[in-house]
Amino acid sequence: MSQPLQCSLCAEVATVHLSQVVGGKVTKVHLCEACAGKGGAVDPAVFQLADALQAPAAAAELTCPRCGFTDVDFRKRGRLGCPACWETFGGALSPLLLKVQPEVAHVGRAPAGTAPLGQLRHRLAAARAALATAIAAEDYEQAAKSRDEIAALEAALKPA
Amino acid sequence: MSVQEILADDQDPARASGAQAVVLSTRIRLARNLAGHPFPGWAKAPQRQEIAERCIAALVDLPRFRRGHVLRMAQEADLDRAVLVERHLVSKELASGQAGAAVISRDQTCSVMVNEEDHLRLQVLRPGWHLRGTWNLAEQLDDALAAALPLAFSERLGYLTACPTNVGTGLRASAMVHLPGLCLAGQMDKVTRALNQDGLAVRGWLGEGTEAAGNIYQVSNQQTLGLAEEDILKHLGFWIKHLVEQEWNARRKLALDEGEKFVDRLARSFGVLRHARLLSSSEAMNMLSHLRLACDLGCLPEALRDQVDRLLIEGQPAHVQVRHGSPLDSDGRDLRRAAVMREALRAFPEVGPPSA
Repeated sequence: MSQPLQCSLCAEVATVHLSQVVGGKVTKVHLCEACAGKGGAVDPAVFQLADALQAPAAAAELTCPRCGFTDVDFRKRGRLGCPACWETFGGALSPLLLKVQPEVAHVGRAPAGTAPLGQLRHRLAAARAALATAIAAEDYEQAAKSRDEIAALEAALKPA
Repeated sequence: MSVQEILADDQDPARASGAQAVVLSTRIRLARNLAGHPFPGWAKAPQRQEIAERCIAALVDLPRFRRGHVLRMAQEADLDRAVLVERHLVSKELASGQAGAAVISRDQTCSVMVNEEDHLRLQVLRPGWHLRGTWNLAEQLDDALAAALPLAFSERLGYLTACPTNVGTGLRASAMVHLPGLCLAGQMDKVTRALNQDGLAVRGWLGEGTEAAGNIYQVSNQQTLGLAEEDILKHLGFWIKHLVEQEWNARRKLALDEGEKFVDRLARSFGVLRHARLLSSSEAMNMLSHLRLACDLGCLPEALRDQVDRLLIEGQPAHVQVRHGSPLDSDGRDLRRAAVMREALRAFPEVGPPSA
């Protein structure tokens, strides 16, 4: 029994211990000073944090198989646990992503050896625009180049 | 390899000669992570340490960081860490944690934060407005890094980051701009709103969540996904060009409309800096902003602008204390800061009317 209690939110030693009695049922929460301060739990009158902890809505629905990170963790921190979390939470994050990003598809750089689909699509769009411009300007040499590039990109984008 | 060496080196890229009248510096930041490892905020302490050492080992092998600096935050004194933040070499977040490190190139142009919010935050910082050249350097550094370490990347989402606001390109391109004209004309709110509406963030001097002292702002892109790097840079470039024009219009209008009153305002700031016995950080920055404007307009010789820029850094709290040689309380800092300013401005000529 000599081991100090761990904070229910992080790994720190808990120094704030809350007990709440609702309808004869006692729930206990142990928090470190930092976490207690965040939830306003240092004021014994405020039990919001305890409520949040006990609320059934806080149950995790998604868990990253790689690092154990859950959607509850994300709601708490606003950051993901590991690169594989993007697979697990990617779909659920799409609405949020669309709030901060114009589109949910990468069209930029890639490490050598990878050719992301978005980037290929981006180049395809650029080549088509270049073709139209070349035709309008009657620059048939450039038009032929663009046409070849379009054909190559379309082939690369076709599902194998 | 210490903060002292960095301080001794006069080649401070954010401040050294080369800054321009409106744009002080250009910065490119790329967020990258190691594949298969938890992000720093979720990793356990031993994992974080393993990741840090692996990243540092790969970075010091890159030609760009030969004879550079490796600074582990846990081993640096509080004041030295604060100096790095004031020089824009590391973020407040990195400096306040124990698990982070910074690898900084000899010339202080390139730096990589290890174990900040992401495993790797590459940064290239150059004085003045040089978006293309700064980007080229960042791209080279990114390629070299990708060849040395397996980076977390997805075909669909691009570079995977801890925070959804960085995923995709992981690119944050920014310009540090000095906007005394727009501030004095009371147009900053309007400008900020316009930039925000078109996807650009406007922040204070030291980045996220900091105050805009000295009329200095950092303007950067917000979107990182669904746009190619090229488009992000073009968008920022377009707005910075526009902003520089607006700032010059505001300055000319002030000088024209207010005439002697305007010059008097700049001259008074010079007087305070030249003679005050106590100067707070924000007061010094605001006065130095006026001096910088005086240099831009020819009220002071333009060649003095670099010295004013250096004082903007030397007036920061950690710099004042490190130069003094020991920690100082707030009053002590104000006293020291005023002495630094008085001494530096001794050789300055009088503030005169703007050159035509």
